[in-house]
Amino acid sequence: MATVTLRGIRKNFKETEVLRGIDLAIADGEFVSLVGPSGCGKSTLLRIIAGLESASGGSIEIGGAPVDRLRAADRNLSMVFQSYALYPHLTVAENIAVPLRMRQLNTAQRLPLIGRAVPGARERGREIDARVLEAAKTLEIDQLLDRKPGQLSGGQRQRVALGRALVRAPAAFLLDEPLSNLDAKLRVHTRTEIAELHRRLAATFIYVTHDQVEAMTMSSRIAVMMSGEILQCDAPTRIYEDPNDLRVAEFIGSPRINVLPAESDSSGRISVLGKGLPLALHEGRQTLQLALRPEALSLTHHTPLLQGRVVHAENLGHEVFVQISLDGAEQRVVLRTDPAMQAQLHLGAKVGLTFDPNRALIFDAKGQRQRNLLRALQEIPA
Amino acid sequence: MTRFSPSLIIRHFILMIGAAVVLAPFVVMLSYSLKSPAEIERGTGGLFGAQEMMVDPKCALRNAPRRGDIETARTRFPDRDDSTIQTLLTEEANAACEVRPVVFNYRSAFQDAPLLRYLLNGVIVTASIFLLQVLIALPAAYALSKLKFWGREAVFGLVLFCLLIPVHAIALPLYLGLAKIGLTNTYAALVVPWIVSAFGIFLMRQFFMTVPDDLVDAARMDGMTEFAIVWRVMLPTAVPALLAFAIFSVVAHWNDYFWPRIVVTGDRSLFTPPLGLREFQAGADGNLYGPMMATATVIVIPLIVAFMLAQRRFIEGITLSGMK
Repeated sequence: MATVTLRGIRKNFKETEVLRGIDLAIADGEFVSLVGPSGCGKSTLLRIIAGLESASGGSIEIGGAPVDRLRAADRNLSMVFQSYALYPHLTVAENIAVPLRMRQLNTAQRLPLIGRAVPGARERGREIDARVLEAAKTLEIDQLLDRKPGQLSGGQRQRVALGRALVRAPAAFLLDEPLSNLDAKLRVHTRTEIAELHRRLAATFIYVTHDQVEAMTMSSRIAVMMSGEILQCDAPTRIYEDPNDLRVAEFIGSPRINVLPAESDSSGRISVLGKGLPLALHEGRQTLQLALRPEALSLTHHTPLLQGRVVHAENLGHEVFVQISLDGAEQRVVLRTDPAMQAQLHLGAKVGLTFDPNRALIFDAKGQRQRNLLRALQEIPA
Repeated sequence: MTRFSPSLIIRHFILMIGAAVVLAPFVVMLSYSLKSPAEIERGTGGLFGAQEMMVDPKCALRNAPRRGDIETARTRFPDRDDSTIQTLLTEEANAACEVRPVVFNYRSAFQDAPLLRYLLNGVIVTASIFLLQVLIALPAAYALSKLKFWGREAVFGLVLFCLLIPVHAIALPLYLGLAKIGLTNTYAALVVPWIVSAFGIFLMRQFFMTVPDDLVDAARMDGMTEFAIVWRVMLPTAVPALLAFAIFSVVAHWNDYFWPRIVVTGDRSLFTPPLGLREFQAGADGNLYGPMMATATVIVIPLIVAFMLAQRRFIEGITLSGMK
């Protein structure tokens, strides 16, 4: 188990800049997710950490020691691939044993047939068998040890791939979208298992995913990446509630966060769609964007801040997402509410919306978060 | 119940004509290998020959009565003159040399030419060629498909270019080179020119392109060196493609007449099976088609048996389906 430190990692593919200076310090035993839309460079970053790809600039330290010049095999990392990448000609047991055999047996001992006669091979072989069985039991695949990968289901293959990674104790586990080939139900189940595995092993995990739910549910910290940069790296709750950048706010959270055009007048007072809010900025007049999570909005009959008509409702059983087209604005907002409210939310119903100004997230025109707000300004005339 | 529509019948009819054209020479070969020379000459005896006893001409020649034989036989045949005794003795000798045509043909094939030796040579040469080709083609194909290096496309272009060079065009320089270093009339002369197979490199490279990169990366993470990846990961996944290549390589070199004919000039112990056919070429006593066709049958049998045994995998390999 070890720390992983990235300093100014850059990567160019010919003219294209894929990574533009990534700095990230991962503590021992931490579960860090690299999350972002496809093409943001997260997989490339993971491959650079693994040593499968070379960085164009920057340095990597694992456990405090620089590894930039080490081959992938010598970095003592385990990796789980999206396609599982099991050896099709080996049984499950042999697949899991490969990392141990390659590291603990010498060339002579690995030879087919003759290898067993080489001194020391038998004892090592028994050790390896025991470790393989242990790993298989942890993942509940000890029934499948004699099968070939071709005879396994997707979920079972995924477990074998995990088994191959955790059969030895590496400095860190690298997981590249390991759940994306599983069906939805299995994905939720395996998510829990991986999180529990992380707790039990107390090992460093670096997990790449494009699925923000996976990132939110498993990680100690999430690094949100976009166009080759880490926009924000924080605990899941901070990423959700207190994003630094509008792109982070929009990427994390489902349904997407509502973004409304806003502006501040010369005194700094913020208004949205012409309605003044009890919020102000120090700076003068500027265009702003106001973002509200669907649960920050609520229905009201008195003095609504926003008004609109219901255009669509999705009932998920335990909650309802209502799409409301706002008067005087082109876009829709999404409101999360209780199914009990659905009676008054029939299609076309006129509704009034309000929100707690303290839960509104204010971004400038470029999408940077504006934090130095003056709140609860009762003295500002309405 | 299967319906036979006219189009189906026509299709099968055309296919059967094609099959007949391809199979006819083999039928003739097999049929001649069973018949006596007289039957072959006269075109009688049907497919299998009448299998009537015939006189082995060589045996008869060997046992023909000589002067001394007639002298000693006088006691057995009193009151006969010499010419009658000679006729009687010749008849006796011929009777001792009577064989079935099929036995005659196949015995000649193995006795008059050291056919077993030729078959062994064929095995040694084709097996060495194939093994060395694999030893070179696999790492080369791996490098061309999975490693990134400067000039990779150019190197692959050269491989394709080599595919276009006909063997016969470079036969003379190859022969001169081998002669200069004194390798003619050795196994090396039969094997060495073929161990770098552009076709093998090309075929394996195309197959390796379909092997997911993740598998190679997983092997690297598991601690394998690049050579270990070639032999422990790529080789086992490439078995169907290797089989396809094996067919092309083994068939081509087992049946090759041209190259062995050039580099093996005198030493009969180095003859490959096709060279063995020359033993029955037109001599003073005309062509011995029966033994010649028997030799040909013996030569093609190993390939046919190998094909029968691994038919399914061969077809899999050639069509390169069934793999991802």
